[in-house]
Amino acid sequence: MTKSLDVPPKGGFSFDLCRRNDMLEKKGLKAPTYLKTGTTIVGLVFKDGIILGADTRATEGPIVADKNCEKIHYMAPNIYCCGAGTAADTEAVTDMVSSQLQLHRYHTGRESRVVTALTLLKRHLFNYQGHVSAALVLGGVDITGPHLHTIYPHGSTDTLPFATMGSGSLAAMSVFESKYQENLTREQGVKLVVEAICAGIFNDLGSGSNVDVCVITKGNKEYLRNHLTPNPRTFVNPKGFTFSKKTEVLSTKIIPLKEKVEVIEGDAMEE
Amino acid sequence: MSIFEYNGSALVAMVGKNCFAIASDRRLGVQLQTIATDFKRISKIHDKLFIGLSGLATDAQTLYQRLVFRHKLYQLREERDMKPETFASLVSAILYEKRFGPYFTQPVIAGLGDDDKPFICTMDAIGAKELAKDFVVAGTASESLYGACEAMFKPDMEAEELFETISQALLSSVDRDCLSGWGGHVYVVTPTEVKERILKGRMD
Amino acid sequence: MGDSQYSFSLTTFSPSGKLVQIEHALTAVGSGQTSLGIKAANGVVIATEKKLPSILVDEASVQKIQLLTPNIGVVYSGMGPDFRVLVRKSRKQAEQYHRLYKEPIPVTQLVREVAAVMQEFTQSGGVRPFGVSLLVAGFDDNGPQLYQVDPSGSYFSWKASAMGKNVSNAKTFLEKRYTDDMELDDAVHTAILTLKEGFEGQISAKNIEIGIIGEDKKFRVLTPAEIDDYLGEVE
Repeated sequence: MTKSLDVPPKGGFSFDLCRRNDMLEKKGLKAPTYLKTGTTIVGLVFKDGIILGADTRATEGPIVADKNCEKIHYMAPNIYCCGAGTAADTEAVTDMVSSQLQLHRYHTGRESRVVTALTLLKRHLFNYQGHVSAALVLGGVDITGPHLHTIYPHGSTDTLPFATMGSGSLAAMSVFESKYQENLTREQGVKLVVEAICAGIFNDLGSGSNVDVCVITKGNKEYLRNHLTPNPRTFVNPKGFTFSKKTEVLSTKIIPLKEKVEVIEGDAMEE
Repeated sequence: MSIFEYNGSALVAMVGKNCFAIASDRRLGVQLQTIATDFKRISKIHDKLFIGLSGLATDAQTLYQRLVFRHKLYQLREERDMKPETFASLVSAILYEKRFGPYFTQPVIAGLGDDDKPFICTMDAIGAKELAKDFVVAGTASESLYGACEAMFKPDMEAEELFETISQALLSSVDRDCLSGWGGHVYVVTPTEVKERILKGRMD
Repeated sequence: MGDSQYSFSLTTFSPSGKLVQIEHALTAVGSGQTSLGIKAANGVVIATEKKLPSILVDEASVQKIQLLTPNIGVVYSGMGPDFRVLVRKSRKQAEQYHRLYKEPIPVTQLVREVAAVMQEFTQSGGVRPFGVSLLVAGFDDNGPQLYQVDPSGSYFSWKASAMGKNVSNAKTFLEKRYTDDMELDDAVHTAILTLKEGFEGQISAKNIEIGIIGEDKKFRVLTPAEIDDYLGEVE
C-alpha cells in the first residue's frame, strides 16, 4: 500500500507538520500550551509493599481543565506508575510500556519485574532527550520484593524508600522527611501518603481536588480511586438555574434515528 | 497571539439523562476580520456520535477528513459503528502521533454508547484525554464557558432543558469573547432522534 | 522437490490451477498431531495430542495451546516452530489494536490478521508458506467463536472441527456427537472422546492438552490434574 493512503500507523511519531508549524511560529503565532498535570505524586515503601499516591487536578496554564483526572497508571498487575508533566506524554509512555510488558509476560510466562518497567521507561525517555516530558514515580512488588523508583523526563532514575514528584513535590517531601520511618504498617503508610498529597493539594497551586491511593503488596493490589475528597463542590444553588426567556431559535431540523435492522433469516444466495 | 486564536471558536458538550448536547458558535474569522458567519465546526461521525473541532480551521478540516476515513475503514472491517470511547481513543492516538508537530486543534467528542449511555470528552492538541461526567468545553471562549457551565449545569436534565441550558451557556459565553459568536449551532441527541437547531445571537 | 516442475517457485500456478507448495503445506498439517475444537452454547474448547519424540523429554516444558489475548486461545497441527512465529505476530497485532482503540481485539479481527500474515507468506519472495493450521477459540461480545485458519490464509468459522493426522475420523465422530445446545463440560467430554478415538496408546493427562474459555471470557489451559478429572468422568 502506498504511503499517501493514510493507513493505520505502525507506531512512531510523525514529523509532517513540523516545518509548517515552525513557519507559523516565525510569523508570530504562538504554539499552544498542552494539558499538564501540575501534580503532586508520591510513593513509599512500607512493611508489606508499596503505596502510591496522587492528586487529581489537570491544568492548562492557569485554568483547571479537569478536576478529577487519574494520574496513577496501570503498568502490570503488580506494577503501577504515577505520572507528572505533560498529560499526553505520561499517558502515552505508560500505555506503551505496559503493552510491552504484557508481551514480555506472554513470552516468559512470568510476572513482570519492576526493573524491567524501569528500564523500558528510562530508555524511551532518554531517547527523546527530555522532549517527552514525563516525570514518573514507579512502584511495584515482584519476585525480588518491593521496589520504588523515580524517573525524570531526561531518563535518569533513582531508587528510593520514599519519593515525590511534580510541582507539589516539595510540599509532599517535607511531610515524608519529617515523618517517614522504616517498617510502617499499611494504615500508617496510607495515612502518611494521604498527608503528603494533601500538603501538595493545599500548598501547591498546580495540585488540587482529591487523593488517589494505590496499595501494592505481594500478589495483591488495591486501587483506592478518590480515597479522600477534601474539596467537595460548594455553592450549588438548590433550585438550579432557570432562564427567564427562551432561547431564540432560527431553524430546527429533526432527524429521527432508525432502529438498527437485524436480518434474522434470509434465503441463501442462488448458486 | 496564540495559534488557537487565529480563527476563533467556541465549543461545548453536555450530558443529560440518556441524552447529550453538543454546541458551537458559527463564526470563522482571520484574526479580527470575520470571514463567514455560517461555519460548521461540529460534524457527525455516525448517527449517535459527533465531534467538534476547535482551533485552527485548516487543521480541524484535515483532521476531520482523516477521522472520517478511519471510521469508515473500521465500519467496513468490523461491520459495526465505533463506540464513543473507542473513537476517542482513536482520535487521541492520531493526535499523539504528531506529538512534535501537532494539529492545532482541540477536539470535543460526544456520543451515545451501548444502552444509550452518554459519553463526552475533550483533548488537548496532542491527545491527552479529559473525560468528564458533566460538561466539556474548548475554543477561544473556553474560559467563559467553564464559568457559565459551572453555574448553569445540573445533572440528569431532559433533552429540552438540556438544550436551553447549553444554548444559554454558549450564547452568554461568546458574548464575552471577541473571536467567536454570530449565533450558535446546537445538536441534541436522544436515543430516538437528533435535533439540530440554529441559534440567533449577537452580530457584533 | 523433484515431483513437479511447478514447485520451484511459490508464485507459480500449475496448469491445473494449483499452488503446489500450499498443497504440500497442507500435507505437513495432515501428518501433524491431531487437534480439535468444539464450540459449545456457553464457551469453546480446544484440545490436542501432545506426543513427544522420546520419554526423556520433559513434558511440562511443552505447551501446544497458547494464549493470544486473555480471551483468545490457539492450538495448531503441523510444525511447532512455525506456530511460534504466528503466535508472536498475533500477540503483537492484538496488543497494537488494544493500544489504538483501548478495547480488546474482537476474535474475528484477530483471525483476519493472522490469516493475512499466512496469505502474505504464500505470495512473498524468499519465504515459504506456514506448515500449520490453527484453531482459534475466543469469547467476545459476539459470543463464543471457533475459527480454523489454513496455510493458504483461508479461514472459516466452525461449530466443531478437527485437523491433523486423524481428521476424517475425528470429523465424522464430531458430526455424530455434536449438538447445538451442548454445554462447555459436555464439549470437553466430547473433545476427549474424539481424541481417544484415534489415539495410539494410552491417553493420559500428560499426553493431551485442553484449553477452555467460558462465559467469564478468560481463556485458560487445563492443568494435568483437571484433565485427569475429566478423563475419569468419560470412562
